[in-house]
Parts: sequence; C-alpha cells; structure tokens
Amino acid sequence: MTTDTPSLNTVVFGGTSAIARAILCAAARERSLRVLLIGRNAQRLQSVKDDLIARGVAADFHCADPSDLTIDWDAVVQAALPGRIDLFLVAHGELPEQEAVLQDARRLAQTLQVNFLSPAVIASSCIRVLQRQGQGTLAVLGSVAGDRGRGSNFVYGSAKAGLDTLLEGWRHRLVGMPAIRLVTIKPGVTDTPMTAHLPKGPLFTSAEKVGLLSWKAISKGVPVAYVPGWWRLVLAVICLVPRKIFYRTKL
Amino acid sequence: MRVDEFQSWGRVQSVRSPCLDLWWLPDRMPLDAATKRLAYGLGRSYGDSCLLSGGVMIRTAGLNRFISFDSERGVLRAEAGVTLSGILQLVVPQGWFLPMTPGTRFVTLGGAVANDIHGKNHHRAGTIGCHVRRLRLLRSDGSSLECGPGENDRAFRAAIGGLGLTGLILWVEIQLVRTPSAWLDVELIPFTGVKEFMVLSDESAKAWEHTVAWFDATARGSGFARGIYIRGNFRADGLGDRPPRKVHRPPGLRVPFLLPNWTLNSLSVKAFNFLYFHRVPKSGRKLIQHYEPFFYPLDAVDGWSKIYGRRGFFQYQSVTPEEAGVQPLEEMARAIALSGEASFLAVLKTFGPRPSPGMLSFPKPGITLALDFPNRGASTLRLFDTLDAIVRAAKGRLYPGKDSRMSAADFRAGYPALTEFLPEVDPAFSSDFWKRVAPV
Repeated sequence: MTTDTPSLNTVVFGGTSAIARAILCAAARERSLRVLLIGRNAQRLQSVKDDLIARGVAADFHCADPSDLTIDWDAVVQAALPGRIDLFLVAHGELPEQEAVLQDARRLAQTLQVNFLSPAVIASSCIRVLQRQGQGTLAVLGSVAGDRGRGSNFVYGSAKAGLDTLLEGWRHRLVGMPAIRLVTIKPGVTDTPMTAHLPKGPLFTSAEKVGLLSWKAISKGVPVAYVPGWWRLVLAVICLVPRKIFYRTKL
Repeated sequence: MRVDEFQSWGRVQSVRSPCLDLWWLPDRMPLDAATKRLAYGLGRSYGDSCLLSGGVMIRTAGLNRFISFDSERGVLRAEAGVTLSGILQLVVPQGWFLPMTPGTRFVTLGGAVANDIHGKNHHRAGTIGCHVRRLRLLRSDGSSLECGPGENDRAFRAAIGGLGLTGLILWVEIQLVRTPSAWLDVELIPFTGVKEFMVLSDESAKAWEHTVAWFDATARGSGFARGIYIRGNFRADGLGDRPPRKVHRPPGLRVPFLLPNWTLNSLSVKAFNFLYFHRVPKSGRKLIQHYEPFFYPLDAVDGWSKIYGRRGFFQYQSVTPEEAGVQPLEEMARAIALSGEASFLAVLKTFGPRPSPGMLSFPKPGITLALDFPNRGASTLRLFDTLDAIVRAAKGRLYPGKDSRMSAADFRAGYPALTEFLPEVDPAFSSDFWKRVAPV
C-alpha cells in the first residue's frame, strides 16, 4: 500500500487458489504489489482481481490452464508482465478422492500431472527466469502430506513429495546464487474449497492464517516452511514412528 | 450433499443439515425450487434465526472478496461473506470506518444487513440499513435482483432486517464514514438506577457519538440497577495515527473447549459484576482507547460463548418505546434480580429517531435492554415469560437476531410491517425462527 518502495512484481500460477489469495492479501498489507494471476476460470480470476484491486494491488489475469504442459510459460509471463519478476508463486493443485483415483489409471495420471508434473515443469521454467535475472523468489505450495506416505492420502502426498525433492535439488544447485530464493511452503490441513468435503477437526487452520504465515516465510526466504510451524514437529514425529506401529494407525 | 452440524451463537439450538458451501458468487443456485434453504454466515445470531432444520444450509463465509473500494468517497462493495473485521483491516489505514458497528467484528456483511444490526451510535447513525447503498439478491426462481433506496425499493426494504428470508444476499455496497483517528476519548461514569441512566443518556446524546451502559442485573437493595455509563468519541487529533494507522489484532486468547455448565453460576456472576462495577471510581474515569477494546472487548477472547458450557445461553433483547419511560425497565430489572437467574452481561442503550429502511428492523426510538442468561431450562424460560409480559404491556418488541423462543403473537404485535413484508418472502427460504413465528 505504501508507495515509497517499488512494487513487488508477482506471478501466481493457480490464481484462484484460496491460499495464494491469502498470501497476496497479507503481502498487500505490507507493501505495494503488481500481480499477474494465471488460471483456468476467467470469471473467478476476475473476482480475485477485483478483490486485489480494492486492496490497492495492481492486478491482472491471464486465462490459461497451468496443467497444460505444452504452454511456454516464460513467453506468457514476459508478454503479460514485462520486466523483472520478484516473486513466482506456484499454487495450483487439486486434492482428489483417493479411492476413485486408485481405481482409474487415467485419473491417477491426471492427479500426478496436476500436482507434480505441471508444477515441477512450471517451477523449473520460473527458476530459469530467476537465473537470468540473477535474483528473485520462487514459492511453491507443497503439503505436509508429502513427508510420509499415509494410507489415506498417498497419491496426492507422493506428488507433493516429488515437488519437495525437486525444489531441494534446485536449492542445492543454486547455492552459489544467494539472491535467488526457493521456498517450499507446507501447509497443514487448511480450510479452503479444496478441503470443503473433509470433516473439520481442531487441526484445521484458516486460509487467512496460512496466508499470513506463508507470506512471512516467503519474505524471509525460508527454504522449507511448515504452516503453522507446529506441523514440523508433528511430521517429525510421524516420520519417526516405526513401520510396525505406523501401519496399525489409520492416518 | 454433505451433512454438517450448525450452531447458533447461544448454542441452545443446533441443527444437522445438508450444506452447500459457496466459494464464488453463483449465477444460480444448484438447488431445486422445492428445497427450503437459509444462508449461514459466521453463526453469530444467538438463537434460531440463523438455523434451518429440514432444509439446506448455505454457507456464505467463502464469499469473502471485496468487489470495489472507492477510497476517495468511502464506498465499499463486497461479497456477503466478507467480515466487518476484514473491512476494518482494509479501510482503517485509509482513514475510513464502518458507519456503525455491533459489539463484535466477526459477523458477515450479509448477516449484518439481514439482521439490520445496530451499534453504540444508533442514536445518531441508525442501523446498518441506513448506510446500505445497494445490494444484490439471488432468488430461488433463478432471478437476480439489484436493489437500493429508490430502486426496487420494496425488495430493498424487505431485505434490510429481512432475516435472509427474501433471497440470498450476494453482495452489499455500503457508505463508510471518515474517521479522524483509530482512537477514542472515552468516559466511564457509574450510575445507580434507570433514572440516572436516562439523565446520563439525555445529557450525552448530543455531544457523544458512541454511548452504551453496562448494567448489573444481579444487585439488589441499594445497588439495584447500578451500572457504568460508557461514552466515546473518535479523537480529532489523529493520536497514534502516524501511518500506517494501527489496525486491530487477531484474538489473543481462545476458549479451547466448553467450560462446565456451573462456571457461570449466580455467585461467580455476582462477583464479576461487583468487580466490574467497582473498578470505576465513583467520580468516573476518562481514558483514551483504541477502537478494538472500545467496540469489541469480547473479541479478544475467541469463542467466548463457550464459557456458558454445554447447555449454552440465551440472549434476551427488547426495546421499549420512549413513551413508556423508565417504568418497564425498572420492572424488568426487578424481575431479573428476584428470579436469581444470573445475567452476566446486561447492556442498556437509548435508540435514536433515525428510521431504518428495513421493514422488520428491530430498533425504534426508546430504550433497549440486552441480557445474557445461562440456559437453566424451565426456570430461565419462566423468567422470559415474565419479561415478555412487561415488554408487551409497554408496546415494545424483541430482537429476532437474538431470539430463540418468542411467540408468533408477540412477533406479530411487535412488527406491524409484517403484512408488507410477507409478499416479499422468497418461498424457498425459511428458518427455524420463521417456522415458529410466521403467520400461517
């Protein structure tokens, strides 16, 4: 909102994601933003754009399917938001009903494409832009589901795990370029449209809070951020539980 | 369709109901015309006006985007699920404030309009309905209607305070007010008796924008009907406003689970009221307060209503007209003190003359008394019958947004504009409140 600092040029893949929007709202309270939203549904993107404009953000959108692997995202971004990009936010994904996915190879492939293949390809394309610029931040929405395969949600989890590993590899590779920062955000269960069908328990966090904590992690350039932070501890414990015991649980 | 449990704020009633979550403004509703439905925001209505059994609950909290904000003229258009808290976060740093605000900022805009809520400045600003410029309704027949003062006027006046019964409110456009500061000059003045309250109220009406009185409904004898008169004005000097202007913070405390039913018993409530009264010296106290503790003291504790335990609590809010004077209030205070039912939070406020466009709007010129009572079953309900008789005799009425037991006869008598309202009701919308009071 303040005009003394230059705008943070931001590109969001999955522009209608509730967590992405919450991150942008938190960011907009702190500094001025120029945002390009990329997503599939023009009407929804328009609502998000209007909301951001009301919050003082210079927002626009481009209608395209982030899971389309044939699109040259570098060209799309350069055309729609020329100049240096300070922040790429890769937020698209879907949480499928696992039982249905396990019955149907095509749906399985589609889930892996939306949650791993496509974000992996887009993240790598964004990283090339950052390398060219010599600076900037890429934040990717991972998930606590990626830390250990659990019987109830391992298809989605494995995609997020792949993404996590890919980003860790990129961080390793870019260690000589400290002005480039890659942030893996691992939200726990968050109250968003994606989880609307799940019964809400005490572990659920609001999208607003997840957005605020994620924005803090992004602005600090934290490599791997669990949001809220206590999930790090929960997952550490879950990963340490011996298989004999773990397999008896219904997680 | 998924089934979920819905509670009202008093937690005396709850329903298990199929639910439809709205995340984006719908063009049409994916429900057939025969399905009864009701919008549910944050569930801050105390009684059953926000619940519908045997139908579909439409959750609107996901409709939480702004549509436009003109920061020059202070005109804000927002989806119905946007909260007052979210609005303040946006507008306060830019020198604007809500035209009026209730005692919590955790209500949705749609719910605020549907209940035509009022605040501490009612004597000057009227209800929220006085500040609505336009709104859009989605009806069960698939039509969508934009209305405002002078445009589809009947539908507009029916929707303001219409308890969500005239269609789904999609968005609302309100006029904000300029505020010179986020801080207020506040005065706290102890009083004893309703007459003293009236004197303070008359004296403060002109010079003070925000007035309210907390009152001890448990004291008998010499302390009978004692209370603390609270009045505040936004500061003119911009104290503490070096940009960015300070906005409220999220709640610091949270009641993690339902406390035992006996937590609020007559002793603990008496002790609380005694301490609350005596924290202010006889000569009164002046202070400078941020808007957050001034308007929203209870918002600091997330889920405060859980202190009432599993059985929940009732809220009883009445308004008795000016002409009836102080007598009905004294009678009610006496009935409460005698009953031994402990009211933890009792609030008195003088309503002003500014009329709301809403047909079923609750406030009217006179004095409103709001009381909380832990649900003790029959004995609590008996007290309400006594209070009902006093309100009825004074030609007063009760607040539907807080009610869970008023009779159809009292509703009809209290709201003469009901006949004008009925043709505007969307036949597919209903609530448990409406099922109880609607003329058949």
